[in-house]
Amino acid sequence: MADTAKKIFIKGLWEENPIFRQVLGVCSTLAVTNLLANTLFMCFGVMFTTALSSLTISALRNYIPRRIRMIVQVLIIASYVMMVDIIIKALNPDIHRFIGPYVGLIITNCIIMGRAEAFASQNRPWPSFLDGIASGLGYSLILVAIALIREPLGFGTILGYALPAREIWWHQWTIMVMPPGAFFMLAIATWIGRNLSPATPKRQG
Amino acid sequence: MNKNSATYTFIFIVAICVVFGSAISLVHYSTLKTLAKNETLNRNRVVCNAFLLDVNGDSPQAYQQAIDQNIIFRTLSSDTRNFETFFKRDTNKSDVGFVFSGMGFWDRIEGIIVLTSDLSQVINIQFLDQKETPGLGARIEEKWFTDQFKDLEIDWTGRVDQRLIVGASSRPNLTNRVDAITGATQTSLALEKLLNSELNLFREMYNRYQSEKE
Repeated sequence: MADTAKKIFIKGLWEENPIFRQVLGVCSTLAVTNLLANTLFMCFGVMFTTALSSLTISALRNYIPRRIRMIVQVLIIASYVMMVDIIIKALNPDIHRFIGPYVGLIITNCIIMGRAEAFASQNRPWPSFLDGIASGLGYSLILVAIALIREPLGFGTILGYALPAREIWWHQWTIMVMPPGAFFMLAIATWIGRNLSPATPKRQG
Repeated sequence: MNKNSATYTFIFIVAICVVFGSAISLVHYSTLKTLAKNETLNRNRVVCNAFLLDVNGDSPQAYQQAIDQNIIFRTLSSDTRNFETFFKRDTNKSDVGFVFSGMGFWDRIEGIIVLTSDLSQVINIQFLDQKETPGLGARIEEKWFTDQFKDLEIDWTGRVDQRLIVGASSRPNLTNRVDAITGATQTSLALEKLLNSELNLFREMYNRYQSEKE
C-alpha cells in the first residue's frame, strides 16, 4: 500500500535522506554550497526536476515498454533539466554562469533516477510527486545547512550581505570556499544526521 | 497493441520525443526575449569593466548610457576575420579594445582585451564566455587573474607565440608574463595560445585600419 503523505515526507527529509543516509547527489553538494544563493537555485532545480519527473514517470508507468523504461526515464529527466537550465538562465544569468555546469549534471543525479526507478515507476502519480518533493527537500535541507556554514566562514557573508564581523576582525577561511571545505562539512553533517537517527539493527550471520 | 512489440515501442518513443521536444522548445521560445536582454546586459557590463568606465548604477540603462557616452564601435574586417573593435572617446590617444575568441581546454573562450592606442600595453582583460572546469580553469574570470594583465607589456619584438606569456618562463623579470592557474595548466596554455594568435591578427588589421584612416 502506498505511503501516506506524512510518511513520505519523513522518509525524504530524514529516514531516507538522499545526502546523509543514501550518500547520493554528492557532486553538486561539494560544488555549489560555498554560496547560499547558488545553493538555493540548485535546490530549486533538483526539487523541480525530481517532483515533475517522478509525476510524469508515474503517470506513464503503465504505458512505458519495460525494456526501454530507463531510456524513457532519462529522456524525461533530461527534458525537465533543460527547462530548469533555461529558466535559471533567464531569471538570473549571473548565478547561471556559476552553477550552469552543475545544472546540466542534475540529469545524472542519482537521487532523481533512484526515485524514478524505486518509487515513481511503482506508485500512483500524487504520492510520486510528493516523494519527489520530499527527496528534493531532503537534499535541500543538507545543502542549505552546509551553505549556511561555508558562506559565512569562507566569505564572511550571507546571501552576499557582509556580516558585521567581516569588517572588524574576521579572517576568511579559504578552505571553506574550496571543495575540501565541503568534504569536511558533508562529513560532519552525515555524522550528526546518523547519530540523531535510531541505530540500524546489526545484520545476523 | 502489445506493449512490448517493436511497433508500440517505436510509436511510444517517437511520441514522447515529440511531446518533450515541443515542451522544451516552448520554454526556450517564451524566454527568448529575456535571454537576449540578459546577453546584451552581460556584454555591456563586460565592455564597461574592460574599459574601466564609471557606471552610474547597476541597471541595463546605466551600462548602455556609459557605453554610448564613452565608446565608439567599429568592425575591422578582412577576408578571413572580423574583429568587433571598441575605441574609447575623448582621449588623445584612444584606448582600443577588441573581442577575442578561441578554443580553451573544453570549449570556446570569448572575452574583451583593451590595449593602449599603440598596442604596446594591455589596459585590462575581461571574459564574456567560457566553459572551463569550475574551480580550476573557470578561475580565469577571477579578479586576481585578470588584474595581472593590467599594464602588462606586449612583446612585439620576440616570438609570435610569446607576445604574452601565461605561466612559467625560464627568463627572469619578464614584463609580458602573468602567473598561470594552479591545477589548470591546459586552460592557461590554451589561453596563452589564443591570446597570442588573436593579438597578431588584430595588430595586422588595426595597422591597416590606421593607415587607411590617415
